[in-house]
Amino acid sequence: MDLETVKERAGPRQFAPKDDMPEEYRKAATRMIQFHANSEVMGGYLEKPFIRQAPSIDRKLAFSAKVQDEIGHAQLLYRAAESLGIKTRDEMLDELARGDGKFLNCFHYPMESWHEVPMIAFFVDGAAMHRQATLKNTSWTPYAHAMDKVCFEEGFHVKHGESILSELMNGSKATQEKTQAAFETWWPRIIQFFGPTNDKSVHNDFAQEVGLKTKSNDELRDTFLDTYVPKAEKYGLVVPEYPRIEYDEELDTYHVNEDDLNWDEFWTIAKNASDGSHEQINSRAKAQEAVEWVRESMHGWEGASGAETPQAAD
Amino acid sequence: MIWEVFRQDKPGAYHKHCGNVHAPDRELALQFAAVQHGRRMKTHSLWVVPHDEIGEIDADETSFGGTTDKTYRWATSYTDIEPAAPEVAESEAEQADVEKSLEADS
Repeated sequence: MDLETVKERAGPRQFAPKDDMPEEYRKAATRMIQFHANSEVMGGYLEKPFIRQAPSIDRKLAFSAKVQDEIGHAQLLYRAAESLGIKTRDEMLDELARGDGKFLNCFHYPMESWHEVPMIAFFVDGAAMHRQATLKNTSWTPYAHAMDKVCFEEGFHVKHGESILSELMNGSKATQEKTQAAFETWWPRIIQFFGPTNDKSVHNDFAQEVGLKTKSNDELRDTFLDTYVPKAEKYGLVVPEYPRIEYDEELDTYHVNEDDLNWDEFWTIAKNASDGSHEQINSRAKAQEAVEWVRESMHGWEGASGAETPQAAD
Repeated sequence: MIWEVFRQDKPGAYHKHCGNVHAPDRELALQFAAVQHGRRMKTHSLWVVPHDEIGEIDADETSFGGTTDKTYRWATSYTDIEPAAPEVAESEAEQADVEKSLEADS
């Protein structure tokens, strides 16, 4: 299929592994899905220490279930990415360990206290789900199928995250203040979750033209703000003065003043070059190394039993 | 040789098991599947898989879970929290459907 045909036919779940897709499409889809898969891994690792730090048995159970889900989502997405025939799962995992694999800006920052947890578990997960719901209509069918299962599970994550936020903001004055401080630290990063504005985005146009994305960064960011600014305020969080969030009466939508955000920091992170990037990538790489023996034994087993598997009649 | 047949009714949908056919090779299996399973039903694509290539494990051999109380991992359990956004509500509704089907079977 040539690129013109792809653009003509682009629509929800229009393309499948059986279709002969041009390399531009396969590369763009791989980049996007690999980024998404990497982000699930890195988000899971960022949250993992809080299973231990959870303040009650209910939170511990729910949080361990959530971390388990995120790693599962990564597996689904690496499979969807592999189906494009550009990279294998092992290659993508190695790239991540080497520091070449890209992932969401929010997962490049260390997270130290329980007060920060809802910043990821409610706001970042809410943002992720807002975006993922639109990706059920992506043109690459295996990606859309992965989104079906991810979105099915993600509703629990967002509600649980909001439940933690509610609990903290109904806690002591000191707890509320610490949660507000965490919110102020994380808020600009959360807004940057949706990436640069459309005019500065490198991949946006092509991804939309071939139906990989159905909404632009700007649309998603604005509609996220419409829902989540009132939510933050409902729990008594005060939205920081900067970046300036303006309400556009004509369009009935919130809008962020992009110039108030730190884009140097964003682009440093996008290159995996911040201190936090090194810290998060290296700690994940160590974890991958530590379980090398599991992979080794699986490979050994695969090789040994593989010979006995009856051949399919081709 | 038996081939299991999976039908997809429209582009982007899931291939669902719909039956099987006898055929000596993959090419004929596809042809027979098209005739037997794709003719009357709305069909966009069919998969055929050699029956012997399918692995199976059933409830007699293992415990699939879902029997212990894991209410903490369902959106529906957090009753004091209204879904923050339409996509959260949709996810919760899907989970509620699954819960209902589990209850109906128990």
